[in-house]
Amino acid sequence: MASTVAKYVLQSIKEKGLRGFYRELKDEGFLKCLSDGNLLQTKIHNLKGNLVGIDKFGNKYYENRNLQSGRHRWVEYAEKGRYNASQVPAEWHGWLHVITDRTGDELLMLKPKRYGLEHKENFSGEGEELIYHSKGHALNKGQRDWTRYQPWEPTKP
Amino acid sequence: MGLGMLASRVIRPTASKLSRSSSLHFIRPIVSTPETSSAQSQPQPDPTPDPPPPSPRPPVAGARVHFPKPEDAIEVFVDGYSVKVPKGMTVLQACEIAGVDIPRFCYHSRLSIAGNCRMCLVEVEKTPKPVASCAMPALPGMKIKTDTPLAKKAREGVMEFLLMNHPLDCPICDQGGECDLQDQSMAFGSDRGRFTEVKRAVVDKNLGPLVKTVMTRCIQCTRCVRFATEVAGVQDLGMLGRGSGEEIGTYVEKLMTSELSGNVIDICPVGALTSKPFAFKARNWELKGTESIDVTDAVGSNIRIDSRGPEVLRILPRLNEDINEEWISDKTRFCYDGLKRQRLNDPMIRGADGRFKTVSWRDALAVVAEVALQVKPEEIVGIAGQLSDAESMMALKDFLNRMGSNNVWCEGNGPNPDADLRSGYIMNSGIAGLEKADVFLLVGTQPRVEAAMVNARIRKTVRANQAKVGYIGPATDLNYDHQHLGTGPKTLIELAEGRHPFCSALANAKNPAIIVGAGLFEREDKDAIFSVVETIAKNAKVVRPDWNGFNVLLLKAAQAAALDLGLVPESANSIESAKFVYLMGADDVNMEKVPSDAFVVYQGHHGDQSVYRANIILPAAAFSEKEGIYENTEGCSQQTLPAVPTVGDARDDWKIIRALSEVAGVSLPYDSLGAIRARIRTVAPNLLNMDERELATFSASLKPDCSHKMSLTDFRPAIDNFYMTDSITRASKIMAQCSATLLKK
Repeated sequence: MASTVAKYVLQSIKEKGLRGFYRELKDEGFLKCLSDGNLLQTKIHNLKGNLVGIDKFGNKYYENRNLQSGRHRWVEYAEKGRYNASQVPAEWHGWLHVITDRTGDELLMLKPKRYGLEHKENFSGEGEELIYHSKGHALNKGQRDWTRYQPWEPTKP
Repeated sequence: MGLGMLASRVIRPTASKLSRSSSLHFIRPIVSTPETSSAQSQPQPDPTPDPPPPSPRPPVAGARVHFPKPEDAIEVFVDGYSVKVPKGMTVLQACEIAGVDIPRFCYHSRLSIAGNCRMCLVEVEKTPKPVASCAMPALPGMKIKTDTPLAKKAREGVMEFLLMNHPLDCPICDQGGECDLQDQSMAFGSDRGRFTEVKRAVVDKNLGPLVKTVMTRCIQCTRCVRFATEVAGVQDLGMLGRGSGEEIGTYVEKLMTSELSGNVIDICPVGALTSKPFAFKARNWELKGTESIDVTDAVGSNIRIDSRGPEVLRILPRLNEDINEEWISDKTRFCYDGLKRQRLNDPMIRGADGRFKTVSWRDALAVVAEVALQVKPEEIVGIAGQLSDAESMMALKDFLNRMGSNNVWCEGNGPNPDADLRSGYIMNSGIAGLEKADVFLLVGTQPRVEAAMVNARIRKTVRANQAKVGYIGPATDLNYDHQHLGTGPKTLIELAEGRHPFCSALANAKNPAIIVGAGLFEREDKDAIFSVVETIAKNAKVVRPDWNGFNVLLLKAAQAAALDLGLVPESANSIESAKFVYLMGADDVNMEKVPSDAFVVYQGHHGDQSVYRANIILPAAAFSEKEGIYENTEGCSQQTLPAVPTVGDARDDWKIIRALSEVAGVSLPYDSLGAIRARIRTVAPNLLNMDERELATFSASLKPDCSHKMSLTDFRPAIDNFYMTDSITRASKIMAQCSATLLKK
């Protein structure tokens, strides 16, 4: 295995040059692997999996039917630093969680009308302005009418 | 009855039984409820031959025993304790006096006894079967047992049958939390049922815009049927079918056209009859109750305003035996949604273009004071509205007097009210006192629409004593037997001269009562009519030292207090020459009489009728938002308490006038509610004797003879629409629905 990796590295350096290789290493998150065991494990996992699809955010979905059921589908997030499960869009969610066998791309081909809103990840902890607050929230001043009476309107002159 | 109280009632006898049986057998039994057979086979030995001790428990809900004749008292024993009750009381009432609360559904102390729910079964010694305590008269020496295994088993059995067909929809039922069936099944029911069949379903009935029916929940207690026929006086409801097909309904599709129909919501022990406007609005444990007074008519019914946050969500009656017993009229109960609509929330000034502009209080008061100081004192007129409290009327009168004017009155009291003799404008016999009367003469009043609770009292008397009722006025539908004597003053003259056949009934009566409607105050010949009525009263001996049957039935909540405080105009037609008109919630004033160049200030809580003529609007608090004294038609002063905060920038009425007086440079000498009440004490001290009826000291015999001529025009109905009489009820959507559907001719 180690020899495969070394062979791949050497081939890449030959093709892209040292600088190109370094950029690819960085973009693909291999540098982050050194500090992030999760990512490293996903990368190692990927070697054994088939790439099933890539969604519009760049998340890569892998499958290996030979693995233990429940561990046989996984995702490598496009975001290498602060990834979380809410970054998976609706169309891929079902495939990833083994709700359906249709991949996200197949689902999108059906042109569903239900996914009306653009998928948005959960921004909890990322700043107040990114978080959804209900109409009556203290931060949404004036959006909801709290008066419980109807005032008289002087319409007639 | 609260769940906690019931639970403690259940727990206590079990505990005492346990200790007793353990002392007998020296072995503590493991089962919590001893078997019926074993307890019966071993009768308790009575170790005390001495007279048993009186009941250690206080009577249920403060029940009082009144012995009409002391020799009629009989002694019964409830759970071994002796209790003395008057003859003719039922076993259930005897148990209540002994402090034992018997579970019941069909029994209601103000309705006739039906005895059909069987929940009140108790064991009586030497009877083979458990007896229905609500229908069984107590007999001397009766030994009643309410906590024996037999009684417990009987209750559990009855409860099991009741729950057999009762739906399990407590989570979506509006009665949930205040349901007698819920409480009593927790306290007295078994922990399981044996019925696995399907439950029955009953079609819901449409009883109108006020009462929502879910007839599947009905347990056929027939309280509503008895209430409708006995108290409300409408024969609409009845029982149809037999067995499991039994249902309550109107025989043909019909709305319940009674002005007391809302009370069936209160007396229904389950959620079969609930309030339609309150449906799914709130749970009863979320609500804050404020004990207050109703102001939609002059009866001053005692109410509880249930609110959540800034909203009034419902109004319920409060027990007051002297005024409303435990009923209230539909107008009182359902007017509350008017408190949320058409509210004035900011001071407004009418600009030069005729449009209203919101201004600050400081600017508004400055403008009012400036105009008031410019006009001549005799051109200032103040009119208090029908919903005004005594404090604000006192402040209004003091303010106008300090401005130099004395043209201040309360609407509804007519152009020249007579405030000199208090007996001439209050109900001298009292509302509860009407029950002693045996002949009624209604002069120009239709109590059914003017004061529904007084009408209920008259109906009760007619039912109980077969009292005769004579009525003079336009044709109307009173819900009891009455003779329509005539339509106007002509009949009055015949009665005064003794030419009318009803005179003999009046003369033979033991306690005759004459009720004069306050609608007559508006007539020009009011004094002449009153002097004729007083002649009738004198001939029939209506006013005696032991009985005063001369009554005036007022229409508006503020009228009595206004006359007590002396809100009497100096000249009857001062409004035609007014330059500055101060309306304190007065909406029934004929605004066409006000000169077009007059400056009109409207201080009130609803944009109703007078605001369209106003130059300045000052927002004030409604009765649910302030503390104020109201005197009802029988001269009993009561006070409202604030249940919800005021809306917008509104203020209490008297505070506005106090602030205005300061801006105008004639500061009133009080700046707290206590101080203004001290001022009232110097004018009308009876207003501060809360919840006490102050009798009129002098009778009408002191009145000077009247020289006016009586016109022969017929009496007119004082109220056209029962459901809409003031600014709150006119703003209410529920009342609008009622007048659209229930008043259909």
